[in-house]
Amino acid sequence: MKRAAAGLLLFMLAAPAPAQEIYELLLKGGHVVDPKNRRNERLDIAVSAGKIRKIARGIPAAHGRRVVDVSDYYVTPGLIDIHAHFDAHGDPHSLNPDHNALRNGVTTAVDAGSSGWKTFEAFKSNVIDHASTRVLAFVNIVGGGMSGIDNEQDPGAMDPEAAARIARKYPETIVGIKTAHFQPATWDAVDRAVKAAELSKTIVMVDFQPKPGRGYRELILEHLRPGDIHTHVYGRVTPQLDERKVVRDYMWEARKRGVLFDVGHGAGSLWFRIAAPAVKQGFLPDTISTDIHKRSIMISRATMTNVMSKFLAMGMTLEQVIERSTINPARAIQRAELGSLEEGGVADIAVLEVRTGDFAFLDSGRAKLTAGKEIRCVLTVRNGQVVWDSEGLSVADWRDTGAYTNFK
Amino acid sequence: MRLTTCRLLVLLAAACAAPGQTRYDLLLKNGHVLDPANRIDGVMDVAIAAGKIARVEADIPAAQARKVVDVKGLYVTPGLVDLHAHVFGYSGSIFPDDSALTACTTTVVDAGGSGWRTFDEMRKRIILPSRTRVLALLNIVGHGMVGQKFEDDTADMDPQKTAAKIVENRDYIVGIKTAHFGGDGWTAIDRAIEAGKLSKTPVMVDDKIFTNTGRTSREKLLDKMRPGDIHTHMYNDRQLELLDRFNGKVQPYMLEARRRGVLFDLGHGAGSFLWPVATKAMAQGFAPDTISTDLHSSSIMTVESDMPNCISKMMNLGMSLPDAIVRSTVHPAKSISRFPQLGTLSAGQVADVAVLRLRSGVFAYKDAWQKKFLGTKRLECALTVRGGQTVFDRDGRGYPEWTKAGEYEVFR
Repeated sequence: MKRAAAGLLLFMLAAPAPAQEIYELLLKGGHVVDPKNRRNERLDIAVSAGKIRKIARGIPAAHGRRVVDVSDYYVTPGLIDIHAHFDAHGDPHSLNPDHNALRNGVTTAVDAGSSGWKTFEAFKSNVIDHASTRVLAFVNIVGGGMSGIDNEQDPGAMDPEAAARIARKYPETIVGIKTAHFQPATWDAVDRAVKAAELSKTIVMVDFQPKPGRGYRELILEHLRPGDIHTHVYGRVTPQLDERKVVRDYMWEARKRGVLFDVGHGAGSLWFRIAAPAVKQGFLPDTISTDIHKRSIMISRATMTNVMSKFLAMGMTLEQVIERSTINPARAIQRAELGSLEEGGVADIAVLEVRTGDFAFLDSGRAKLTAGKEIRCVLTVRNGQVVWDSEGLSVADWRDTGAYTNFK
Repeated sequence: MRLTTCRLLVLLAAACAAPGQTRYDLLLKNGHVLDPANRIDGVMDVAIAAGKIARVEADIPAAQARKVVDVKGLYVTPGLVDLHAHVFGYSGSIFPDDSALTACTTTVVDAGGSGWRTFDEMRKRIILPSRTRVLALLNIVGHGMVGQKFEDDTADMDPQKTAAKIVENRDYIVGIKTAHFGGDGWTAIDRAIEAGKLSKTPVMVDDKIFTNTGRTSREKLLDKMRPGDIHTHMYNDRQLELLDRFNGKVQPYMLEARRRGVLFDLGHGAGSFLWPVATKAMAQGFAPDTISTDLHSSSIMTVESDMPNCISKMMNLGMSLPDAIVRSTVHPAKSISRFPQLGTLSAGQVADVAVLRLRSGVFAYKDAWQKKFLGTKRLECALTVRGGQTVFDRDGRGYPEWTKAGEYEVFR
């Protein structure tokens, strides 16, 4: 017995140290901003098999098969856009997720109700299952989703049980319930969406137009629950500011209750004349999102990095902007693991440049905000793969690559 | 109280005449106009009225326009015409507006996504809802570009039906495409050219010439293709052999085909632009007649091959900006018989206008095999006008500062 133990001890002493890991991808020297972990410093990030393996200073370049010098850039968790429209198959206004998300550093996009509880499965099989972007969804309380504003008005098509059933069936993809575009002056749409969320233990995201007897104050103080989201917070149809441009008390009160306020830029919902005073008074968005679709992407350029740039230009710090584009949206959709950089976690990473120069951004009224900085995405890693690399940082110069062949 | 646009412009100290005195809807002022068809290469103003180009001259008074946009320091050219894009049918096809209009491209030609059986659906689903002008080369395959099984099916290659569809739809269909044919012999190309003869339109042919199919590039270019037919993917070298493998020279039969009037199209895409080929060909002066993107899903993601990217690549290989603009406007418009309606800034033509910025710095450009070339020039889209409307404005040049605009609504 004793001898056996001694033998084991000898064996252990003789055993080699664990092998140094060889990394598939090593992002070296970048300025890491990871608000959840309070990282705001130069760190290297090593990636293998789709996971972040190590985050540390001075990981030797020799240990990476592909080493990318990102020392001119910021490195953040993959951005999370919780208000996008990517049902490019079913919804005439939606865009292709990969082109519009990954090129802007967005590795997780949440489709905000383009599909409803009747059409979600088609959306999933036609778009979500084929996208490189992680596409999650709020399902619309209207069964047919956003098939045209006239089709979104019938409370009869808003079935909380059916919506909850589909949400429970796909818990890995559906994060909540969406209601939008509802015109009648009743609470049917909001209350049914909340009911569906209660039944499925998810949250609601609400696009809201006040009507006589259906006030914004009641929405955020009475109808929404803590954790529910009002999107389009800086739109012009909801009264956030009083006539002196001061943020109204009920906004703060709702925030204290835990209601979340999301940007949802879109074609009509970001106005500098509303957002800038609110930001100045400290009423920052909980989450920065795009409401990207075929119209919002054109003149107002509602891409993730542009919307982030607009808030940077309105006076938010880079760290605040990144926090509201990573960990905050991750927590809002109850996917906290997606919004930070963790050893052992999925390797979804954005490499961002903060350019300096003369830039200008347009809001939904096409009014202009001039700025000295612009955020743009130069490289995106999704699930460990470089899926976007605008500066060719990760590829070789053609002169150094020898004979070209079809062999890969 | 809602202010009129006119009063706001007054507040902004921009030019605004009393209604009735304004002749133009939009005036692009102080840009460097490159309009090769009219031999314009200098600082001029471009006035637009009722969706058409009204005048291109120096010093058009700002007071004559309802809206004035200062484009000083930028180049103003005809809206770019992308002769080879994929917006329908093909699995990687894209919706055109967000990719084309933001890249100063006002006309895209879908290269064979639809065939005679599917064109009506393309017209309904893509052509009519798009703000981009979408034209089409009809695939000789009746079902269009929907997969190898279909594209190899010679029974679905009907020259008569293809030509008939073209004749019925000359407003949108500008020619014929044959691509991806993996079978033996010349059936696909012969029938495409037959349809081209019947409809009096050009045929765009891809480079898929395998030696084991009984076809050679030489025969294709010299014996099959007619003057005005378009050979696309010219800088691919998989099977094409643009360059002699031993001495790096452009093949004599390529030069001969060009002399006879066969057109060579870039068709960049995700597989068809290789630095070793493009650099050698350009060094010998074998430039594309038409610069085009072959824009589709994977080419956007990997090599960003939109029109400004393709033009930038050619400029970094030595092509001048004016020359590149000719090959991105006048030449593609002529190749599909849409000149001078497209490709010029002539008075009376539709106001499709590109405003481009030429940046200098160090920029990486990737080829189809994702090898990079570091260049010092980059052309970027700053503003796009389509049919007289501003559809993209990167720097917000056409709009007022929010701090000076009061309780503004939507500026038009």
